[in-house]
Amino acid sequence: MAAKIEAKKVSKRFGAHVALAHFDVEIAPGEIFGLIGPNGAGKTTFLRILTGYWLPTEGDVYVDGDSVVEQRERVQAKLGYACEQPKLYMDHGVETFLRLMGQLRGLGGGDLSLAVERSIERFELQEVARRRIGVLSKGFQQRVSLAQALLHDPPLVVVDEPTVGLDPRQQLELRRILQGLGGSHTLLLCTHQLREAEACCDRVALLDRGKLLRTFSADELESAGSLEDLFLEQTQGRSDT
Amino acid sequence: MRRRIAALFMKELRSLFASPIAYVVLTAFVSLSAVYFFQHLISYNQLLFAFQSEGLATTDFDQGTVPLQINTLNELFMPFAGDLHLFLLAVIPLITMRVFAEERATGTDELLLTTPLRTWELALAKHATTYLFVMLLLGVSAIYPAVIISKSQLGMAHLGALYLGQLAYGVAIAAIGLACSSLTRSQVVAAIVAYAVPFILLDFAWLDPVLTESAAGILSGAAIQPHLDNFARGVLEFRHAVYFGGLTVLGFTVSVASLELVRAR
Repeated sequence: MAAKIEAKKVSKRFGAHVALAHFDVEIAPGEIFGLIGPNGAGKTTFLRILTGYWLPTEGDVYVDGDSVVEQRERVQAKLGYACEQPKLYMDHGVETFLRLMGQLRGLGGGDLSLAVERSIERFELQEVARRRIGVLSKGFQQRVSLAQALLHDPPLVVVDEPTVGLDPRQQLELRRILQGLGGSHTLLLCTHQLREAEACCDRVALLDRGKLLRTFSADELESAGSLEDLFLEQTQGRSDT
Repeated sequence: MRRRIAALFMKELRSLFASPIAYVVLTAFVSLSAVYFFQHLISYNQLLFAFQSEGLATTDFDQGTVPLQINTLNELFMPFAGDLHLFLLAVIPLITMRVFAEERATGTDELLLTTPLRTWELALAKHATTYLFVMLLLGVSAIYPAVIISKSQLGMAHLGALYLGQLAYGVAIAAIGLACSSLTRSQVVAAIVAYAVPFILLDFAWLDPVLTESAAGILSGAAIQPHLDNFARGVLEFRHAVYFGGLTVLGFTVSVASLELVRAR
C-alpha cells in the first residue's frame, strides 16, 4: 500500500539561482521522512518536483518505479499533497470541496460519498462540513487541506509546513494525525519546526542552499538528544550573510 | 477523464456565479442590448411612418413609397449587430480576467496541477464554462428581438445568422481573454490585454492608405470586423466560421501552453 520514493540527482535551477542541486534520497514504503532546513534550503522545491507541479532541470524522482517526468499522471494518482499555507477554494463548502477533490482524483458514486464521509469523520470536520472554507479558522483549514490529501487513501502523502500558523494545541492534534499515518502510508513531511520533525519522523534529511547536508536516522536522532543541536552543528557558518 | 472535466466544469460554474460580477455583466449586457434593439426598432418605425405618411415624402421619392435602403437589414440588423459586438467586447474580459489569473494569485493552481489532471482538461473545463456564459448572455439578449421578429414575421433565419455570428465572435473573444488570463497572475493586467488584443484585431482599414493593396488584403483577412459583417447580413460562410474557430483554438492552445510553462519554469 505505501509507496517507495527514489530521487536521483534531482536539480532545479531558476536562471542562475540553484534551488536544488543533485539531490539524492531513497524513502522506504511506510516511512515518515522529514525534510528540514532554513528558508530557501530547497525543501518546497523538492516537494513541488515530487508532486509534478514543477519539472526538474536535471534528474528524476520515481514513485514505486514510475517517473515523475515521464509518467506524471501515474505518480500524481498515487499521492496526496497538502501545500504550505492551505491552498483551498475559499468560496466552497468543506463537503463540496472534498467532493471536488475526490472527483479530480477519479473517485465517483458510492466510493466518493464514502471517502468524503470517512475523511470528514477522520479529521473531525462534522461541525463545519457545510460551512464555507473561507470562514473557518486556520486550524480547520489545515485539517481540510489534509483531508483532501488523504481522501483517496494514497500510498504517498506529502505535507508541506502543516503546523505554520497553528496554536500549540492544534499543532499537537495535527502531529497526532501525522504520526498515525506512518506504516500504512509513506509520509514526506517538510517543516521548519525541528520538534515536529523529531516527534513524527523515522528519518530526517537536512538541506541547506539546495544541497543535502546529512540524513539522520531515528537512532541518530535519539542518541544526539536534540535535533536542534544537530541542525546548528551542521549549518554552523552557513547562515545567511 | 469525463468525470474530472465535469467536476471542474461544475466548480468553475460555482465560482463564476459565486461572484457578483457575473450577475452585473449579465444584467448590463441584457439591458443594454434590449434598450439598443428597441431604439433601432423605434427609429426604423419612425422612418417607415415618415415615408409612408402623406405630405412627408420629399420630392426625391414618390409619395407614400419607402426607399429601398430603408429596410430591416440596414435599419435594424446591421446597427444592432454593431452594438452587440461592442457590448460583448466590453463585458467578456470582465468575466475572463479572473478565470486563470485568480488561481495563480491564490496558489490554487498548485492544488489542481498536483492531481492527475491533464493541463488540457483543466483548460477545457475553464474554457467551456466561459463559453457557456457567453451563450447565456446571447441567449437571454436574443429573447426580445426573437419575440418582436416572430410577431412581425420578419427574418427569423436572419436573426439566427446574426446571433450565430455573435456567438462565434463572443467565443473567440472569450478564448483570447482566457489566454490573457492564463499568462498572468494579475486580473487587471489580464483584463487590459484582453481588451487590447481584440481592439487591435477589430479592423485594419485605417492602415489602408499606407499599405499596398496586397498587404491591405492580407490584413483585412486577419481583422475581425470583415468577418462579422456577413453574419449580420444573414450570410453564413465557412471561411468566417474557420476564422473565429481558429482564434478560439489559438486561445485554447495558449492557455494549455501557459499551464505547461508553469511546470517548466
